[in-house]
Amino acid sequence: MSDTAPEILLSLEHVSLAFGGVRAISDVSFDIRKGEIRAIIGPNGAGKTSMLNVINGFYHPQLGVITFGGRARSRMRPHEAAAQGIARTFQNVALFKGMTTLDNIMTGRSLRMNRGLFWQALRHGPALVEEIRHREFCEEIIDFLEIEAIRKTPVGALPYGLQKRVELGRALAMEPKLLLLDEPMAGMNREEKEDMSRFIVEANRRLGATIALIEHDIGVVMDLSDRVVVLEYGRKIADDVPEVVKADEKVIAAYLGVAH
Amino acid sequence: MGLAPKRANADDTFAKLMRMHARVRGGRPAFRHKDLGIWRTWTWAQAYEETRALAQGLADLGLAKGDRIAIAGANRPRLYWSITAAQMLGAVPVPVYADAVADEIALTLENAGAKFLVAQDQEQVDKALSIVAKLPALTRILFDETRGLSDYDEPRLVALDDAIARGRAALADAACAAALEARIDAGDGVDPSVMLYTSGTTGRSKGVVLSGERCIAAARDTVAFDNLTDRDEVLAYLPLAWVGDHYLNYAQGFVAGFCMACPESAATAAQDLREIGPTFHFAPPRVFEALLTRVMIRMEDASAFKRWLFRYYMDVARRWGEKIANRESVPLSARLRYALGNLLIYAPLKNTLGFSKIRVAYTAGEAIGADLFAFYRSLGLNLKQLYGQTEAFLYVTAQADGAVRSDTVGPPAPNVQLRIAADGEVQFKSPGMFVGYYLDPEKTREAMTADGFIKTGDAGFFEPDGQLKIVDRAKDVGKLADGQMFAPKYIENKLKFFSDIREAVAIGDGRDFVAVMLNIELAAVGNWAERNGVSYASYQELAAHPRVAELIEKHVDAVNRALSQEPAMARAQIKRFLILPKELDADDGELTRTQKVRRGFIADRYAPLVEGLYGGAKEAMISAEITFEDGRKGRLEGRSAIHDMMVYPLAAGAPAPRSEAA
Amino acid sequence: MNILHAIFVDPFAQMISAPDLLVQTVWEGFVGGVLYSLIALGFVLIYKASGVFNFAQGIMMVFAALTLVGLHEKGAPAWIALALTVAIMYALAVGVERVVLRPLVNQPDIILLMATFGLTYFLIGFGELVFGGNPKAMITEQLFLPSGAIDLSILGGKVTLQKLDIAAAAIALVMVAGLGLFFQKTRIGRALRAVADDHQAALSVGISLNQIWVVVWFAAGVVALATGIMWGARSDVSFALQVVALKALPVLILGGLTSIPGAIVGGLIIGIGEKLGEFYWGPLLGGGIERWLAYFIALAFLLFRPQGLFGERIIERI
Repeated sequence: MSDTAPEILLSLEHVSLAFGGVRAISDVSFDIRKGEIRAIIGPNGAGKTSMLNVINGFYHPQLGVITFGGRARSRMRPHEAAAQGIARTFQNVALFKGMTTLDNIMTGRSLRMNRGLFWQALRHGPALVEEIRHREFCEEIIDFLEIEAIRKTPVGALPYGLQKRVELGRALAMEPKLLLLDEPMAGMNREEKEDMSRFIVEANRRLGATIALIEHDIGVVMDLSDRVVVLEYGRKIADDVPEVVKADEKVIAAYLGVAH
Repeated sequence: MGLAPKRANADDTFAKLMRMHARVRGGRPAFRHKDLGIWRTWTWAQAYEETRALAQGLADLGLAKGDRIAIAGANRPRLYWSITAAQMLGAVPVPVYADAVADEIALTLENAGAKFLVAQDQEQVDKALSIVAKLPALTRILFDETRGLSDYDEPRLVALDDAIARGRAALADAACAAALEARIDAGDGVDPSVMLYTSGTTGRSKGVVLSGERCIAAARDTVAFDNLTDRDEVLAYLPLAWVGDHYLNYAQGFVAGFCMACPESAATAAQDLREIGPTFHFAPPRVFEALLTRVMIRMEDASAFKRWLFRYYMDVARRWGEKIANRESVPLSARLRYALGNLLIYAPLKNTLGFSKIRVAYTAGEAIGADLFAFYRSLGLNLKQLYGQTEAFLYVTAQADGAVRSDTVGPPAPNVQLRIAADGEVQFKSPGMFVGYYLDPEKTREAMTADGFIKTGDAGFFEPDGQLKIVDRAKDVGKLADGQMFAPKYIENKLKFFSDIREAVAIGDGRDFVAVMLNIELAAVGNWAERNGVSYASYQELAAHPRVAELIEKHVDAVNRALSQEPAMARAQIKRFLILPKELDADDGELTRTQKVRRGFIADRYAPLVEGLYGGAKEAMISAEITFEDGRKGRLEGRSAIHDMMVYPLAAGAPAPRSEAA
Repeated sequence: MNILHAIFVDPFAQMISAPDLLVQTVWEGFVGGVLYSLIALGFVLIYKASGVFNFAQGIMMVFAALTLVGLHEKGAPAWIALALTVAIMYALAVGVERVVLRPLVNQPDIILLMATFGLTYFLIGFGELVFGGNPKAMITEQLFLPSGAIDLSILGGKVTLQKLDIAAAAIALVMVAGLGLFFQKTRIGRALRAVADDHQAALSVGISLNQIWVVVWFAAGVVALATGIMWGARSDVSFALQVVALKALPVLILGGLTSIPGAIVGGLIIGIGEKLGEFYWGPLLGGGIERWLAYFIALAFLLFRPQGLFGERIIERI
């Protein structure tokens, strides 16, 4: 990160979210700078996933202002968030299980394919040209993620680690400005985690995606992220670079002390 | 062949062969590679142009005649072109195993004194840079795939693209082009063409120097033997550094002018095979075995009707398939049933395996199970066996069409002289035989007899029909404490014919009895476990399961029963065995890169288990250090139950050993 | 013994002795089956994409046919009327998405099912209000649908094929092939399959559920229109036709709610099965078994394969 005032891609100010009487997020403010890898950590039930759901429009906070790319927004729906450049993966892998790896990744191009229904129905002319162009893009991603061998495999039949990789591929296919990763390494063995870390770093460096990720493996978080925000019971208790957060007593008490 | 007078313009180097093909069949496909999901093709003319440009680029970077240039990576057209480009300049290409860890590569590069390295991608470059301090001779590292390498700050690094572009620009000048042409002409067939490092089953790997003239002479013989032409096609998926790839694909391809298709990645080779549909194919027995296991597992999940159909027609194939393939007389009704089976089962099966168009297929490297071999033969696949080694530039023996057996490796290949020494060792002289080990005249002398034959180190004998049968490594054939012959590989192979057993290590030299340590085959046993309600979370857990032990016990018992039929082997029945808690792995040094077990190393590492086997214990503990692929170390802890086996008395009037295995 | 003979022997003996009659019966059953398939296809499309069991599918067929004929009666030329009807089906799809689906998103399935009941009565009422409740004749000639019959002399007898039936089968085939291609190969099709698999994930890649719902309801509407024209041409256009639409239920039971091939094969089995039953076994039971045989076949089937012919296999992993 350069020393001059960094460009803010997303900021949340005093965001609160409640389901009925249950408060999931209470008055949380933080921002995500363009080009950084931002980690959101916290013990179970801290409101991390709710936070991602707020950012990509699954939930609408009762209070607070969300600004993305310089524009404040209200009640944005998920597909509109996607159209603005926010992509995400899910904690429990949400893939289209009956479709192949390639088709799954191709769905990530949905928003970028605009040829009308008519051409599509004929599968001809401009629609075909467009399909080929996007297929090429998806092949680059398949190459990047080293999943050539499962290109034509229905993803439901894939092992969990590969499904996570395909899901990342689908999100990358959107060429997102902001990529939200919900526990990208949950349930992976060491080797898979190393691969995934490499893909995340390269997606950030090479493909220029700003990344916000939730992760339980503290080692991974400290290695990967530029800045870390720590939540506990829906409140923000720390927000700084990894070295500082690691040493923060509140964090140690709330999180590190409990989990490790 | 060897007697033919040398013509002035004979194509005695691979560079000249490539030039010839570019002129004679410039429009025919020479190389294919699947990249980003699409097969790209280069004709001989295009490949020649690229290779010339690369050769010029390499020359401009300072590669000269006699220099060694290492090549590390998967099968890629541009890596093959690097080999030919080096040969154009009279430099010596040294392919190295792409999956070797950095230290292994360092040893090879150091021994070869490599000046240049061509690396496929970032992974190989990273490995090279980690050892570069040990390699003062290494001045340039060229890389094919640029991804991830753009921000590397290392003066030795040059993109292959840049080298080719520079070379192409230089060749625009007619004088430069003529100079390169002259260098190709000046190439001499007696000079080293390539250096291939032996896999190191026995100690340090050695650089086997092969000359162009001999390589090409050998390849001409076998291309004629199997009628290969420029209409043939292969999937070039074998490791570049292995003699099999350099011979079967590169040398034969350059002699016959056929097309070499490079798979997208190692993981996609099976699919790529299906898409390419090669006409000539090689795979080691373990690959054929893995394929069969996969077919069987899929059949077990199929509907009852399909299973019945499969079983019925496989039975027909077993009964008649080989006879039909060998053109024996077969009743018409059987022919009709076989034809129907072909329509319903064999052809679709061969198609899913990618074997539809294969005219000639070989297997070698280890013994192949009779049933496994018969399975593929009976489908109508012309699968044959050969026996060879790096020092011979592969072929020593090869089976001819129609004279194929599972328990032998064939008669001597064309122009090969073969003999059995007094101590049972197989010795040969062949058209492709090596010039010597690199910088090691002493080892070269050791490997040869006074009259110029190469000692294979394998023990074997000729069958009455003239086919060679290999029993074991000559030095591995030992004796039990009572002086009885003990051929470990013979026993191990019998065990490995069971699809549930992946690896076996037999121990017995100087001992009172034979004991065995096993690896189960996770795919097969895992499937069995699923169907039989045995739950497990890992290999280790499955291997330790008592019901798995029962399953394996049955196999061991069957082997004992078979051994009891053979007078020479009856005393070497297996008295005790255990299932290893870890899969043997080349990365841990337990297997060679060509997947052969390193018996001595394993006996050392698992010494506590061996002690348990001979100490009468019911169980033994192991705790060993293992190395991961990237060089990290880890610790393995595990325990194995030890099982006692019943030993059969020598069967009265048992037939001679050879008929048993047929 | 006589009864058993009459059930198990006589009908087959009849089939063998008069193969031309058998062919004729199978053909008629086939054409009926094709139309059942189309109706079931409409159900499957909507169920897959939105999880709604659309009770109104049968009525949509009648409504579409009625609109077409009604517009023609009011003076619109046949082709204009057809185009207008397609437009109205589109408007209906948009309306359903706005008024029914969007407000009820995330409600229990039963609520959505009830909503389609409501839609059914709305369409009946609206249709009668605008176009009147009397049976009308389909404008067959104006749409250039062929009439008359072809006589084939085969198997020593004569088989009569109505040209209209041939046209119906051909149109159905083209329609199914077109839809199949559309859903397999285009972005919208991929999006639709994505939505069918996982709503949340589909949203996260920017697929708009609302757009997909409009597309499938519109597709179902067009299929309903085509089916309505065919059935209307064979009888009359009136709300009595919805009874035919109910035959889609056994087809769905047979084929599975989520499978397009299932809808097609199920339709053909029901269509051919009930014709054969009526012709060969009907007299035994005093005729009229065509009305309930379909349900009987479906029920019998349900006992053996609760997930339907092609429905997703219910696999329970331990």
